[in-house]
Amino acid sequence: MCDVCGCGQPENLFKVSDDTAKKNVEIKKSLLSKNEQVARHNKEHWDRDGVLVINLISSPGSGKTTLLERTIELLKKELKIGVLEGDIETERDAERVRRKGAAAVQLTTGGACHLEAPLVHKGYHALTKQMGGAPDILFIENVGNLVCPSSFYLGEDVRVVLISVPEGEDKPAKYPKAFKTSQAFVITKTDLLPYFDFNVEKVKNEALSLNPQLKIFTVSAKSGEGLEEWINFLKEKLKEKRKALQKV
Amino acid sequence: MHETSIAMGLLNSLEELARKEGAKRVLKVKVKIGKLSGIVIDSFVFAFNALKEQSPRLKDAELIVEEVPITYRCKECGHRFQTESVFFPECPKCGSANLELIRGEELEVVNAELEV
Ligand SMILES: Nc1nc2c(ncn2[C@@H]2O[C@H](COP(=O)(O)OP(=O)(O)OP(=O)(O)O)[C@@H](O)[C@H]2O)c(=O)[nH]1
Ligand SMILES: [Mg+2]
Ligand SMILES: [Zn+2]
Ligand SMILES: [Zn+2]
Ligand SMILES: [Zn+2]
Ligand SMILES: [Zn+2]
Repeated sequence: MCDVCGCGQPENLFKVSDDTAKKNVEIKKSLLSKNEQVARHNKEHWDRDGVLVINLISSPGSGKTTLLERTIELLKKELKIGVLEGDIETERDAERVRRKGAAAVQLTTGGACHLEAPLVHKGYHALTKQMGGAPDILFIENVGNLVCPSSFYLGEDVRVVLISVPEGEDKPAKYPKAFKTSQAFVITKTDLLPYFDFNVEKVKNEALSLNPQLKIFTVSAKSGEGLEEWINFLKEKLKEKRKALQKV
Repeated sequence: MHETSIAMGLLNSLEELARKEGAKRVLKVKVKIGKLSGIVIDSFVFAFNALKEQSPRLKDAELIVEEVPITYRCKECGHRFQTESVFFPECPKCGSANLELIRGEELEVVNAELEV
């Protein structure tokens, strides 16, 4: 299965009963089992390489790439940053983050509105080749879409859902799955709060009622407000992961 | 939208299964879809029926969907209850929020009937 590094696993999960003209086959297998299998394989790579992996999910234009640009500026002195940019067509976002000093591979899905684990796997191998080694933190910018990406585990350590202030307060209620499956929630473009009806506390509470464990950040990539907490969170997560890996 | 790619994945694995079993056709396939799975059942069924036409082995396959309700178990008092709401609920018996989700996230192929 893994044609890049040659560590394929067999895949024979079908169990057969009966022997007449009609045959019943018990399958009992997730509809997403192919994706999940490759996602677990991705995680093995990332654990072996000691990489913290962050999967960013939001609607188009919520500010994923802009937040990444600022994050790279603030982290690149101490950490090696790699980015996989998911987009339906263009190379633009990869170029934007490269200009800030990160290594980046563009993943074009050719129409699909979400990333799946096999494409990410290919992208990671291309990225480590480009970097001559593994990054400390790998960011995966998913395709701009708040629905599908939350069904596809990529092997990440932390899933982050983002909502920008202009999108409005009702997003957590409308896209519960994205909030239920994420570990962190970033409210972006907070510099625009004076111009929109967006009650930060209300949105936070609604998100927490979907997922009480959610870590919530409010940031403006423009003014820089809230970036420090976000950066500290990333550093803390990296430390936690490396420590956990040393134990096993 | 991901309903299409999940339906495609299901059809691919059925095709593979039929080939392995030397089956002429797939007659039925049963799937379980939880209300918290993030799948819109109508879109999934639509995609399945549109895409199956491309394969002579699959074009007659009937898709049976079992929709699984959201069920929690209260860790305080043991009460089990179903809910329609996607929000994190409280136990209707004792008010505790210490709950375990036991059903509702299913996204599973259960079995298939083949003509051999
Ligand atoms: N005012 C303000 N605008 C912002 C902020 N962050 C991003 N933007 C603007 O929002 C627009 C979209 O930002 P991107 O970072 O490209 O959004 P994205 O989520 O990467 O978009 P896609 O990749 O297309 O899904 C751009 O015009 C940014 O300049 C912010 O903190 N404040
Ligand atoms: Mg972008
Ligand atoms: Zn590999
Ligand atoms: Zn491999
Ligand atoms: Zn999709
Ligand atoms: Zn109870």
